[in-house]
Amino acid sequence: MESMETGNHLRLLRRCWVALACAAISGCSTSLVVNAIFPQPLVDPLPVRVGILFDEALSTYAHEEKIPQQASYSIQLGDANVSMLSQLFDSMFASTEPVVGLPLEMADQGRLDAVIKPELERFEFDVPIQRTDNFVEVWMQYQMRLYETDGQLIAEWPVTGYGKAEHGNRGAALNRAAVVAMREVGAEISTEFSAQPAVEYWLEEKQNESALSSEAGRNN
Amino acid sequence: MSRHCLQRLAATTSPRAQVLSAAIALSILAGCSVTSRMEPYKRTDAVISDGEQVVVLARKHHSTHETEAAFVDCVAGALASGSDGLEVHDTVAFEDQLYPWFEPSRAPLSTDELSELLDKPDVFERVQGTGVRFLVWLDGSTDRVASGGGITCAAGVGGAGCMGLAWWEDDARYDATVWDIQELDSTGTIYADVRGRSTLPAIVIPIPLIARPRAAACRGMTEQLRQFLTAPTSYLPGPELQ
Repeated sequence: MESMETGNHLRLLRRCWVALACAAISGCSTSLVVNAIFPQPLVDPLPVRVGILFDEALSTYAHEEKIPQQASYSIQLGDANVSMLSQLFDSMFASTEPVVGLPLEMADQGRLDAVIKPELERFEFDVPIQRTDNFVEVWMQYQMRLYETDGQLIAEWPVTGYGKAEHGNRGAALNRAAVVAMREVGAEISTEFSAQPAVEYWLEEKQNESALSSEAGRNN
Repeated sequence: MSRHCLQRLAATTSPRAQVLSAAIALSILAGCSVTSRMEPYKRTDAVISDGEQVVVLARKHHSTHETEAAFVDCVAGALASGSDGLEVHDTVAFEDQLYPWFEPSRAPLSTDELSELLDKPDVFERVQGTGVRFLVWLDGSTDRVASGGGITCAAGVGGAGCMGLAWWEDDARYDATVWDIQELDSTGTIYADVRGRSTLPAIVIPIPLIARPRAAACRGMTEQLRQFLTAPTSYLPGPELQ
């Protein structure tokens, strides 16, 4: 005999069956490869040549978490990281090229003005258990670091993104929420990059250097 | 809505159960109902012209709620459909074309902010390229505001069945704010509040009599938006209460 209190009986019944089935099959697990096509940001490219350093931790990033009495999750973000950030940096700077480490070889140092290295520091998510919670939520924090080509740090700052998606299919909702959070991260990086005080100062220096060198070129 | 509930009841049960169910349903029909209120307010006589498009966007910056994607799709789809359908720009395509300026944390919250946004390099040209003249910002959500009753089910060797009555009430509250990109001004707002009570009587089998306030809000909102965008002078406010 089963007794139910309120209106959402059919859904509740279905969820009970799913929960029982999950328990019977020794626990549910969700494996997700975050997948999306990220748009190119509509921003004016900055007049600098930047090397992009994606280390293995970023390009193969995976979040594993087991939520008691619910499920275990494996969320792969590596490909999405590379896809989103490559597109972003290509639009933000006059030119970009991938680099494999710091400091750069002496021969390469003249070709680039700086190297940017993003790191995904934290990834958190919340999948509702009860029907009263409507959204799957994702929160993530990247640490952005801008280096001189000789490896000296110019600036570092955190960038956070939050995304939520209506709870439906668990994997699809998590994917949507993660993509919304990543788009938010991209929005902040692309619009706030040159507003970082240390970056602003560095950009001014670069502009002055380039103005001086073009003046010297005219005088010669 | 009451007639709809009765028809649904008749279609889903056997003749014997129909008699019983009809008796119960008659007593609860007042519960299976939808009440709606529409409040349109138009400030200008701007209307959409041939070749101009409208885009329907959701406000996503609230921490407490977010307009459902299904509601946005419903309004956008309904505006575009029919012989008098408007040219509706795809929501996702618009957000992608203007990325990152219409992301939840960056989207303009006022026409002054929209004006500042359009002053940024290439943004105005990109918006013009989409052909969009009117932005419709949808805000609100459908929430469960009350529920009660109970159903008991039992199963044995001779069969299974349920008895009881459950009910719930959903409230769909949305507003649509229309911005005119050409005039850089807010054209007006439409407010919709639709409340629907659903019931689930069970005499052996549960018979869901579902009210769909979100669908009703979508229909009402679309009808008002269509008039809003096409009729400068003959614009009529919607029904106060049904």
